[in-house]
Amino acid sequence: MKSAYEPKVIGFLCNWCSYAGADMAGTSRMRYPQNIRIIRVPCSGRVDPLFVVKCFQRGADGVLVSGCHPGDCHYTEGNYYTRRRFALLREFLDYLGIAKERLRVEWVSASEGQKFAELLSDFTAELAGLGPRSKI
Amino acid sequence: MDKELIQQIRDKARNLLKEGTVEGVIGYERASDDLTSRPLFAYSPSDTERLIFDETCAHNLVKYLLDKKGKKIAVVVKPCDSRAINLLLNEGQIERDNVFIIGVGCPGMVETNWNHKSETLQAKCRTCQLFKPVVYDFLAGGEIERQAEEETYSDITEEEAKSVATRREFWLEQFGRCIRCYACRQVCPGCYCPVCFAERLDPLWVGIRIAPEENDMWQTIRSFHLAGRCIGCNECERVCPVDIPLSLLNRKLEKDVKELFAFQAGLDPEEAPPFATFKKEEVMEFEK
Repeated sequence: MKSAYEPKVIGFLCNWCSYAGADMAGTSRMRYPQNIRIIRVPCSGRVDPLFVVKCFQRGADGVLVSGCHPGDCHYTEGNYYTRRRFALLREFLDYLGIAKERLRVEWVSASEGQKFAELLSDFTAELAGLGPRSKI
Repeated sequence: MDKELIQQIRDKARNLLKEGTVEGVIGYERASDDLTSRPLFAYSPSDTERLIFDETCAHNLVKYLLDKKGKKIAVVVKPCDSRAINLLLNEGQIERDNVFIIGVGCPGMVETNWNHKSETLQAKCRTCQLFKPVVYDFLAGGEIERQAEEETYSDITEEEAKSVATRREFWLEQFGRCIRCYACRQVCPGCYCPVCFAERLDPLWVGIRIAPEENDMWQTIRSFHLAGRCIGCNECERVCPVDIPLSLLNRKLEKDVKELFAFQAGLDPEEAPPFATFKKEEVMEFEK
């Protein structure tokens, strides 16, 4: 069943784990909501908070930043920096009036296609519940 | 005005210039309204007679050190300003050997306007726990005794208690007034990128038109770039021509950085800033 409102989600997925995880979901023919637009990045550490804020400014309803599990980063420690950066950004955006639920940071490995599909269904449903973001 | 203190600053500055220890001294002088103060750049011993210090000397003079790289300069700093020196040392922007720090104990700065000086302490001074600079070569006037209120971040918790929608409305109204004069950036000791993200044309992060959503982008990223780096001099808010409460942004980040990473900027020039380090074992809220 399609509701009238379809949230727009931008996903920043790391090349080594999460993008491969999304690929896994695809090749395994798992169903997940088509609300996501995926941008592949070399590492979740590449994602500048600027990208996320820009997404929200341009009308995204939710942003997903996803990388390898801590300890599994292809570049050894990129995702540890991501973790700190986005922990703070979530709090800050919430403070500025963009609910922290709209920014998700998740660790998805290359084998977790199932997790990726479930995570997207869950995220999209949550965003649909929150409703459209108030326009500026 | 503390005559003894001022004499000590003048004597020190004069000697430094006479001996050739420094090329110039950055301090404060009386503004032309004969009431408030303004920065003074003293390059000859006779200039030092104009130096003053009182409760109107709010400017953070550390910013000017960024324009004097490679030169030996003395600078008059209050306790809050001294944290900016540690910040710049930590980030490799200035060299300790090139800076002679004339520290002053701070009784707190008052709210001033052109031709007007109030008795009210600035908000940042009411809860400031630093009475002497964290780094200095010479402490003019010695240490001072002072009582300060406890820092409870009540202004921030008050905001946090409101609903997300209310906060959105509040900030859009605030940012809607921004004229993007960039005074907040120009005055900030932590803002020194050769090309600011706001001035990049490709990619165009912040559109050139003065519109609420562009202002929102500017203010969000400006303050986030200072997360874990803002030293709380609050100069940005003081210079804002449209009175946007920027301290509410900076202090929110300061509070969160303290809670999440147990870090305060500018206290130690050697300690790694929160985003340049990590702990493998730490668990953030979104991971729970």
